[in-house]
Amino acid sequence: MDALTFLIDGFQTALQPHNLFFAFLGVLIGTAVGVLPGIGPMSGVALLIPVTASMTSGLDPAQAATSSIILLAGVYYGAMYGGSTTSILLNTPGESSSVVTTLDGYQMAKQGRAGAALAIAAIGSFVAGLVSLIALVLLAEPLSNVALKFGPAEYFSLMLLGLAAVSGLAGNSMTKAWMMTVFGLLLSTIGLDNVSGVARFTYNISFLYGGLEFLTVAVGLFALGEVFKAILHKEKNDGEIAKIGRILPSKAEAKESVGPIARGSLLGFFVGVLPGAGATLASFFSYIMEKKLSKTPEKFGKGTIAGVAAPESANNAASGGAMIPLLTLGIPGSGTTAILMGALIMYNVQPGPLLFDEHPDVAWGLIASMFIGNVMLLILNMPLVKIFAKIIETPTKYLLPLIVAISVFGVYAVQVTIFDVFLLIGFGLLGYLLAQHDFPLAPLVLGLVLGPMIENNMRRALTASNGDFMVFFEKPISLVLLIIAFLWIVVPFIMKLKGKSIIVNEDM
Amino acid sequence: MKKWWFFLVMGIVAVMLAACGSTATTKSSNKQENYPAKPIMFVAPSGAGGGWDLTARAITKILDETNLVKQTMTVENKPGGGGTVFMAEYATQDKNNDYKLFVNSPPIIINNLKAEGNSPYGYKDTTPLAQLTKDFGAIVVRADSKFQSMSQLLDAIKQNPKSVTVAGGSAPGSMDHLVAILPIYKTGIDPKIVKYVSYDGGGEAIAALLGGNTDVIATDASSVGEYVKAGKVRVLAVTAPERLGGVLKDVPTLKELGIDAEFTIWRGVFGPKQMSDDAKKFWENTFKKLSEHEKWKEELTKQGWEPEYKGSKEFTQFLQEQEQLISDMLKSLGMHK
Repeated sequence: MDALTFLIDGFQTALQPHNLFFAFLGVLIGTAVGVLPGIGPMSGVALLIPVTASMTSGLDPAQAATSSIILLAGVYYGAMYGGSTTSILLNTPGESSSVVTTLDGYQMAKQGRAGAALAIAAIGSFVAGLVSLIALVLLAEPLSNVALKFGPAEYFSLMLLGLAAVSGLAGNSMTKAWMMTVFGLLLSTIGLDNVSGVARFTYNISFLYGGLEFLTVAVGLFALGEVFKAILHKEKNDGEIAKIGRILPSKAEAKESVGPIARGSLLGFFVGVLPGAGATLASFFSYIMEKKLSKTPEKFGKGTIAGVAAPESANNAASGGAMIPLLTLGIPGSGTTAILMGALIMYNVQPGPLLFDEHPDVAWGLIASMFIGNVMLLILNMPLVKIFAKIIETPTKYLLPLIVAISVFGVYAVQVTIFDVFLLIGFGLLGYLLAQHDFPLAPLVLGLVLGPMIENNMRRALTASNGDFMVFFEKPISLVLLIIAFLWIVVPFIMKLKGKSIIVNEDM
Repeated sequence: MKKWWFFLVMGIVAVMLAACGSTATTKSSNKQENYPAKPIMFVAPSGAGGGWDLTARAITKILDETNLVKQTMTVENKPGGGGTVFMAEYATQDKNNDYKLFVNSPPIIINNLKAEGNSPYGYKDTTPLAQLTKDFGAIVVRADSKFQSMSQLLDAIKQNPKSVTVAGGSAPGSMDHLVAILPIYKTGIDPKIVKYVSYDGGGEAIAALLGGNTDVIATDASSVGEYVKAGKVRVLAVTAPERLGGVLKDVPTLKELGIDAEFTIWRGVFGPKQMSDDAKKFWENTFKKLSEHEKWKEELTKQGWEPEYKGSKEFTQFLQEQEQLISDMLKSLGMHK
């Protein structure tokens, strides 16, 4: 097979000592970038472009391009590995794609199972990385065409399915989950509208023109909310330290994670292929799917290992999937891939339909190095688990200021405005109040992510169809997605009407 | 055991502080003795992959390679509202930040003049530093499209405007829209009935075209070369005064097709309104040197852009003329504020 011979050539490129070094450096920096909130993969990669440019200046142009892109891509998927660490340990998501991981990861850490959670996140990421790379090698061409077929109508229906599935994130009350979703959607309308350019709910405050920054809101709700709770309720575990259990997951936990990792990898990969959908949605979708499939959905949110394994696999697989539209079409699906594309162009390598013909060494060298980088990440991360897991042993009186500091620094490093720091504190208080009254926070965050995508794609689809809503039903992919969304909501009610013992309010 | 922990925690905090220090210093600037004394940020007020983004990256790359600027330069993408999101922030919060420049083109004028999605800030709220390139609009269809020529496309729109979806990377009333509308309007069709869909940046618009979600797109001539080479798209016309070179050498201009219209997409670099004299002088000199540098010319050829240099004063003059031109155009389209 052609792809295999190319891949072998790619390995020869990637296994050259200097490229191994660049891959290692990339994943190392990436892990650090992932652990630190604020410095996300996007700013991490952007900041490193000039550094790699000078590091590779001694090589000839094609080699320099390969080496830099190997390093930069290493930062990208390394960050996906590292992002889970603070989510699990401190309830502070390092990246937007690790927000869901806080739900069960932090609970596991509280129960002294931080080691298992971190280890399964690393293993899940590794498996997902390999799965998505194999899929990338075998399916790049056909999938790039499928991704193109995803037009506004299909995106709209996919996002609608995401909303319908919000029940998967509900706690005790569906009504409260829906209220939070709508609240998130409302918050997402703040800012300049991308379709018409009209300012909405900005009151001429220029900070609001760009809308609310997703990570600020998420870190505020989850991390600071937890801090306020700990302070106001004077949690009495000051002297008492949560025990770290075993570092490796138990046999039962490992067995429990196989399914979620496999499904999370595949789902994450396919969501990643769609330009614009990205790792954050992949992690949300896979979490919701696992809860739906689980025989014990009530355990989700209370520290089940599947709730960590699935989203962490999905976000890593998504970063592999996102390489497809980037490399084969020259269309970046996310902010980070856009910056990778910029880096390639800097070396006069134009990603697009001709990349694999004109620069096979760069393309296949990159793919091969991603295999190697994933192995490196696993080796790098497993010993770190042991060290990181001990953070949970830190007494609360040291831990709380640490969380506050990380949150504030992280948010300020990205936004560089005091306004966002106040926003962070505001959402921290809101997160505390909402959690106190048993309102689930995840649907709010999901609403905030989905809002602009739903709205813009709906308006695009309707403009193209002259305002005819049938467009959502005429396109087969869109229709299938809508039917699933419809069934998702309706089936539990019907089953209840039929007297089946399903408690719609508790977990549907 | 506990002590060991204390050090690790302190270590993490120290790393955090250091990391913040390196990214969070470009806020305000007071003294300019040795400008530039800090890293410089170039903003492309759009998503990556579009014309502004490519221009910003090309400029920083060559300035770095030729050592014309010794400080680190980074490119940041600030998408939204066809550039208005960025302008609102820039004109209010960065008006004396000598270390944040941005790349722009006709939209800085268009957004300031049009009624819908108006930006209260225009080029007058900045310091125009230099025009560096010119590019032209292109009307593009898929390679397997039934439209073989511009006249076929125009006929189809004339007969049934609802049957043709036109897309671009920016909102209605913005540049991509104007490029798309221009030939249609000039042939006497009411431009308001044309169906126009806006995407976030030229990259997404091309994806929509390739995926069959739109029939025609209007975009920058320089960004379609790769897709033409790969045989994926066909360019029906360019808005240049004369034919372009390279892969687009067989594409007719609107004038050749009997449509009296042309539209130049100039690209230039702007600084903040209250830029210090030192900084302004530095950039005027630097961009002049850049425009004459061999490496820059090579880069332009690679990217398929045409060189066109105007210094700060000339550029400002040119912008005034352009403002008049675009103002007339928007008025005739009924889109003027």
